[in-house]
Formats: sequence, structure tokens, C-alpha cells
Amino acid sequence: MNYLFPHQYKKIGLMALIPSVILGVVVIITDFAPEFLDIKIDFVLSANPFTKSTNNLLNEILGILVILSGVVVAFSKEKVEDEFIEKIRLESLVWSVYVNYALLFLAMVILYDFDFLFFMTFNMFTLLIFFIVKFNWRISKLKKTSFDEK
Amino acid sequence: MRNNIKVERAKNDMTQAKLAELAEVSRQTINAMELSKYVPSTVLALKLAKIFGRDVQELFELEDKDWK
Repeated sequence: MNYLFPHQYKKIGLMALIPSVILGVVVIITDFAPEFLDIKIDFVLSANPFTKSTNNLLNEILGILVILSGVVVAFSKEKVEDEFIEKIRLESLVWSVYVNYALLFLAMVILYDFDFLFFMTFNMFTLLIFFIVKFNWRISKLKKTSFDEK
Repeated sequence: MRNNIKVERAKNDMTQAKLAELAEVSRQTINAMELSKYVPSTVLALKLAKIFGRDVQELFELEDKDWK
């Protein structure tokens, strides 16, 4: 299978992903924004005339960390890559897309305005997270059940 | 699809791990195939046949339910 990271990257990615996700959730909920990460926006690439002139970088940094480490963890090779793992990876990915869009569908119907925006902040990342959980869950179940040797 | 992998393995006194190593796949794959939970690719089927010194048709058999 193409486009996969070497197996070693998974652990490194996880070390970055887990704290980033935890911190990210905390920051979204509490709006924590340490002052030393405030920056002034001189060049405004926005159609909105009311764009703020300062922005706190913490959410950007965390978002980038989650995206990068999430992608690496999600798409690192397993220790032994073969056709069966490929099939499981594909099925997990399809499942994750279904679940992610089902949630989005629900959110569109139930949530509005700021509530919807609040949901969307999470929804940006849940596809990756769902896939990571589903795929690794299936792999670990496999490893447990195949202990009837001989 | 019916398969005789487990039988052939026993005939050759081979563990799943050993077969997996020879066929260049994971042990989970061998296990899944024996439990009919996974249908191998053509290449893998041919490899298994070669490892056991048998014909592919002796290892794998089509069943009625394979036809939709």
C-alpha cells in the first residue's frame, strides 16, 4: 500500500497527538489563551472588515499539531503490512467517514449558529480520530483472537 | 470458499507463525484465512500452494455461496 509512513513514526506521532488532543479539547471549552502567544495581525487575508487585529496562536498551534500527528498516527504502517491489514484499513476508513458524516448530518439538523460552530471545531478532526480508534481496535481484537495456534 | 490450509499445515507440522513467515504475511492473516474470514489474493493463494507443494485447487475450493 502506498502513501503510508514507516511503522516507527506511529509512536512518535502518538506522543504528540495525545497531549495535543487533550489540550485542544481543554482550550476549546475554556477558551484558554496565554498572553505570550498573542500576535498582531498586520496582513489581513479576509473578506470580513471586522477581523480582529490580534489573534492568539494557541488554537492554531494545537490544530496544526493534531492534524500533523493525527495523520501520521492514522497512516503509519503496521509492524507487518499485508493484504489483510490493507482490507481492514480500508473498511475502517469507510466506517469512519460514515460515522463522521452521520454526526455532521445530525448536527446540521439539530444545532445552529454558535452551537453548530462549536461542534464544527471538533468535527474538523473527528474523522481522523474515529479512524485511528476503529482501525487500532480491530487490529487489537485480531491479535487477541488469533491465539489459537496449531 | 472452502480451504484446506489448516489440514496442510498439520500435515507439514507447521505453526501458523511459521507459515506466515514463509508466505510473507502476518499470522493474523493465516488465522483469518483458516477461519474463512478472509479470502487471499491470487498471489498469496499461489504462494501457499507452492509452500505446501500442492496445486492451488487442492487448497481452495469454490462453494455455491461464492456465486451471487
